[in-house]
Amino acid sequence: MVEVWSLGYSDENGVQGELSEIMSRPVPMSTQATSSGWLRRLFSTDHKVIGLQYFFLSLAAVLVGMALSLLMRIHIVWPKVVIPFLGAIKPEGYLGYLTMHGTLMIFFVLSTAPQNGFGNYFLPLQLGASEMAFPRLNRAGFWLTLVSFLLLLAAFFAPGGASLAGWTQYPPLSAIASAGPGQGSGTDLWLSSIAIFCLASLLSAINFITTTLKMRAGGMTLMRMPLTCWTWFVTAILILLAFSILLAAAIMLLLDRHAGTSFFLPSGLMVSGVAIEHNGGSPLLWQHLFWFFGHPEVYIAILPGMGMTSHLLSIFSRKPVFGYSAMVGATIAIGLLGFSVWGHHMFVSGMNPYAGFAFSTLTTAIAVPSAIKTFNWLGTIWRGHFRFTVPFLFSVGFVSLFISGGLTGPMLAQPALDIYLHDTYFVVAHFHLIMGMAGVFAIFSATYFWFPKMFGRIMNHRLGVWHFWITLFGAYSIFMPMHLLGMAGHPRRYSELTGVQYVAALAPLHKFITVAAIVTIAGQFLFLVNFFWSMFKGAPAGENPWQCTTLEWRLSSPPPQHGFGNDSPVVHHGPYEYGSTELHGAVAQQDFLMQDAPANP
Amino acid sequence: MPRISEHVGIERKPKLGGGGPGKIPHRHGYGGGDDGDHGEPEDFVSPKDRLRRYRIGMTAAIIAFSTFFIGMAVSYLLRLGTPHWDPELGHSVRDSHVLALPYPRLFINSFILLLSSLTLELARRSLLAKAEFAVMGIAPPRFKTELPWLGITVFLGFAFLAGQILVWNILRDQGIYLSSNIRSGFFYMLTGAHAVHLAGGLLVLLWASISSSMRMRFESRQIAIEVTAWYWHFMGILWILIFVLLHFSKG
Repeated sequence: MVEVWSLGYSDENGVQGELSEIMSRPVPMSTQATSSGWLRRLFSTDHKVIGLQYFFLSLAAVLVGMALSLLMRIHIVWPKVVIPFLGAIKPEGYLGYLTMHGTLMIFFVLSTAPQNGFGNYFLPLQLGASEMAFPRLNRAGFWLTLVSFLLLLAAFFAPGGASLAGWTQYPPLSAIASAGPGQGSGTDLWLSSIAIFCLASLLSAINFITTTLKMRAGGMTLMRMPLTCWTWFVTAILILLAFSILLAAAIMLLLDRHAGTSFFLPSGLMVSGVAIEHNGGSPLLWQHLFWFFGHPEVYIAILPGMGMTSHLLSIFSRKPVFGYSAMVGATIAIGLLGFSVWGHHMFVSGMNPYAGFAFSTLTTAIAVPSAIKTFNWLGTIWRGHFRFTVPFLFSVGFVSLFISGGLTGPMLAQPALDIYLHDTYFVVAHFHLIMGMAGVFAIFSATYFWFPKMFGRIMNHRLGVWHFWITLFGAYSIFMPMHLLGMAGHPRRYSELTGVQYVAALAPLHKFITVAAIVTIAGQFLFLVNFFWSMFKGAPAGENPWQCTTLEWRLSSPPPQHGFGNDSPVVHHGPYEYGSTELHGAVAQQDFLMQDAPANP
Repeated sequence: MPRISEHVGIERKPKLGGGGPGKIPHRHGYGGGDDGDHGEPEDFVSPKDRLRRYRIGMTAAIIAFSTFFIGMAVSYLLRLGTPHWDPELGHSVRDSHVLALPYPRLFINSFILLLSSLTLELARRSLLAKAEFAVMGIAPPRFKTELPWLGITVFLGFAFLAGQILVWNILRDQGIYLSSNIRSGFFYMLTGAHAVHLAGGLLVLLWASISSSMRMRFESRQIAIEVTAWYWHFMGILWILIFVLLHFSKG
């Protein structure tokens, strides 16, 4: 057995001569070429490949989720219409679509694309590292996510179809197989899928935290990180804590379903005329566990979007971020407060009024860091030298949607108001605007922004602008009227209320929403066409088309497989040095300063 | 255990802030971490940096495991603390079942687990001492001083799992099953989840002991044993906490 010790390696105490010899050795290109077959590329541990894999997984999920929302909208307005290949939608079909739409969008789009997609690709590059801390763990995370995605989709083909219990899966409905058509194997698949998704997310979060703490380039202090990195970091901490709880809850629910335990099932329950065996459990316990995960999950979905918005507003206003440290503080505050407000989802579930008061106060308190962020975004674009690029438009759209969706948050946080508005379309409007639409706008802005880095080409501007305006007006046209539906008392989740007297008058509003949804969804094809066309035919991007300061723009587009390789950057500046040509004397032709520009030019 | 050598204090590179320099490999491509760990001599960052990185990763993982078990434990306390509706009596009742824990067996198991923590710590330290040679650029001695300790730890780990199976059998003989009542449900779930986690650690230890006789890079082996030792100690502490929880909630 041969130990390999005497061959050169070095740390800070080691033998420098040997190290520099290794460093000066040329990269063996031939071995790279032979080893990068498509199979090796597919199962790569390269963070860039994995980031793109997550991105395309999300793209597939968002297409399915969007198609489901279209089917639901059509069914609400024209319940008798026969859909090609599917036939007329049955009530249980509608509920299955509803469950799958929510699950796909929340887990596989909003939690996957901004964090695991863009995060995997750009966190190491923005930190000046060439890889994530644990590349193989990263790969395991992606493939587990893919398995989880396929398991979830398989529920459509299970006997009885997909689960009916919504993305929240409240027991007893979710705990008893005889409770409905999709409550057998459909729900088992849902639960297994989510349990695996939890595992995958935990692996990924461990990786993000370690990468942020240990992989930064020289000079990249925590307070020199771009705000995107800060939000990815805080989000990873939220994932670590929230998904562990969901995993525990999912295991307990699976045990209730298959091992005869009674964690969530009370005594004396009659389901479909048959008394069930369980006794002594509490359905409320699930709600507590689920929402202890569920509320941080909202921030898991939106925090990376907030980071991207801060980042892009600064870049395209050619101004530093207004209040960088306040932004960091607000991100951490939102993350912390996010764990103490889960009860506001349960005001109508039977809750001590004092607890309701506490949850209400804490929830309202989240308005403070959120307002700090909004104020700072406005401060960032105030008197900016705007470059009206598509990513900038989408970032401004994010702020707009964040405000209009956010203002209804403190309203819903009041127990007295929530008791009326709970389970109405008002809530649907609130979370779709602030989490769904704002989150998607952040994903769009990040896609348009980083597309040149990922594929080496720029997406078409004109198509992008059309896409933006259609999506912005579409989002407001779909979700603003839902506030009115909710205030009129229209309950959510029902597949068909056309025969009900007091909501009959609201039918025109529903028709308008459906038409708006069809137009908006049609508008998304502009994005798809633009995306795939630009990938091959777009204008070449060059190294730094947006004139940014952060380290990923130091590399060629797309970045080489080995990232920074031997040329590890050393950071001397903050991430948002924009707008002043006096920053760097000699090279005053540009209005920005790269993070790794020399300290004293 | 005394250190075999002191650090040789050559001037440190000035830290520029943040994670400091050298966190990515100063060599050709492919990035750091466990990628490129193919036993080739150039294939490493400073082993110390890798070790620190894995420790941070394990710390994050331990936080996740803790949250997982805290979720279950808090559920247990909530279930015991709140009465549930009894349709036959027509009013709310508190759970009245009593769980007779097989204390002698449980104490033996606890002792075995804590002892295994000790033996693994000895293995970890002997590897750490060997790693001091690496700091000086000398090949570490080939004597596998850690192997006996690893072997004993693996044996004790299996003994603990076997002991847990005996505990479950004792309860089953009393007619107490997973589905019997709240207390039994949580008992089996908590101990079962702990056993599954421990079995995971056991697999890594098995792999590490086998790989120490294969052509496995020294520092990879050291990292595996180092972080598994952290994990194992955490499992020991967790077991004590679970035991205390079960003791005070047995009814």
